[in-house]
Amino acid sequence: MENVRDTFKEVAAAILPVTLVVIILQVVFIRMPFEAVIQFLIGVLFVSIGFFLFLIGVNAGLLPIGEMIGRRLPSTKSAGFIIATGFLLGIAVTVAEPDVRVLAKQIEEVSEGTVSAAILILSVSLGLAIFVALAMIRTIFRIPLHYLLIGGYALVFLLSFFVPEAFISISFDSGGVTTGPMAVPFILALGIGVASVLRSEDDSSGEKFGLIGLASIGPILAVMVLGVLFK
Amino acid sequence: MNIHVFEGFQTVMLEVSLALLPLLVFFAAFQIFMLKLPMQRVLQVGQGFILTFFGLSFFLQGVHVGFMPVGTMMGETMGSWDNKWLLIPIGFIIGFAATFAEPAVSIMTEEVDQETGGYISRKMMLYTLSTGVGVSISLSMLRILTDWSLWYFILPGYLLAFILIFFSTQTFIGIAFDSGGVATGPMTVTFVVAVAVGISTAIEGSDPLTDGFGMIALVALTPIIAVLILGLIFTKKGGGKTNDS
Repeated sequence: MENVRDTFKEVAAAILPVTLVVIILQVVFIRMPFEAVIQFLIGVLFVSIGFFLFLIGVNAGLLPIGEMIGRRLPSTKSAGFIIATGFLLGIAVTVAEPDVRVLAKQIEEVSEGTVSAAILILSVSLGLAIFVALAMIRTIFRIPLHYLLIGGYALVFLLSFFVPEAFISISFDSGGVTTGPMAVPFILALGIGVASVLRSEDDSSGEKFGLIGLASIGPILAVMVLGVLFK
Repeated sequence: MNIHVFEGFQTVMLEVSLALLPLLVFFAAFQIFMLKLPMQRVLQVGQGFILTFFGLSFFLQGVHVGFMPVGTMMGETMGSWDNKWLLIPIGFIIGFAATFAEPAVSIMTEEVDQETGGYISRKMMLYTLSTGVGVSISLSMLRILTDWSLWYFILPGYLLAFILIFFSTQTFIGIAFDSGGVATGPMTVTFVVAVAVGISTAIEGSDPLTDGFGMIALVALTPIIAVLILGLIFTKKGGGKTNDS
């Protein structure tokens, strides 16, 4: 039950401060109709309950399996299989990532349906999956992190010359939301599992870092490519 | 405005079922061909899926009926204020508040604390980050007010980050770029972005698609730069323990 209490605190800490600021703003400056405040508080309640159940479900039920798969993968001795697993898991977790769904819905609404949420979620998950696969390749072949980071972002800035202005903001935002409470622990579990078995202990310290940073480049590139296709 | 609670909940649950399906198939395939876990363990995972399903459903329902409409409405009110410059300090306060207590941030500050043997303490990192995110949201407000391109902020930001990389260690580079997502907690994407879109809608000459979005991009850049700079200070002050680059 320790787990449940910690999760409860975690949810409260993530949601209450901004809620408080909003309530103060409402009282001092904004004065929205009373119904809107009630509607906001219903939102706070539902999001809190939802986030709480979600974290418990993912951390206690799903994540141990991700860790198990991460540890077992290297014993297959097949680089191709490890990379393919990284790719498929990348898609599966992004599709279920709450922040990705919310951002996609907002973009769909603001663009008045031009950029549909489904297409956006699909591109983002493909982008993430490709970069998780790349991260697996990096771990297996010991490529230094900064080569891939600089290469990835160089590609981002190169591509940006061909992307319509309207897609720039949403592509960078997509990179930020993908690394949420679903994707991060799974990618880490998989990556650390693979790295710890493939390598000896001597150089494992720097290895657990960098996976997420690398993975978040994928969605930026993917949405930019989507923008180029839209033009 | 009528109060909505469960309106559209069925659609949300259907959406969530589809969203969780790939992960379910993925686990099932591994269970059958590789893991072969005992039945009891499989049932536990099943419970995990059920909790995750209801969690995601409630979360998204709360965003749909609460955060998105009210956030947009609040933004539209703020966007029609006479004194719009108030948005800049308000943005700062929201950003600071969202980051200061964010659980993902405290995991990261702990990591840095350990990596530097306490030299860069949790507190120092936390204040740096919260201030950084506050500034990021202020800048996003400024962007909405002035219609400046996201490039003016993103390009120098990443350039600075890449210059810092050359003076940094592999560990700090890794932590820094991993931290991009930590400051964008559940309130930022669901509520603060809706407020920004609302403000941008209300202000003439501001395009919500280019100006309302872009905030997460700036918020994600802050921890990267903060960690790299603090890492640099640490290494320069003779913290050779992690000098592995």
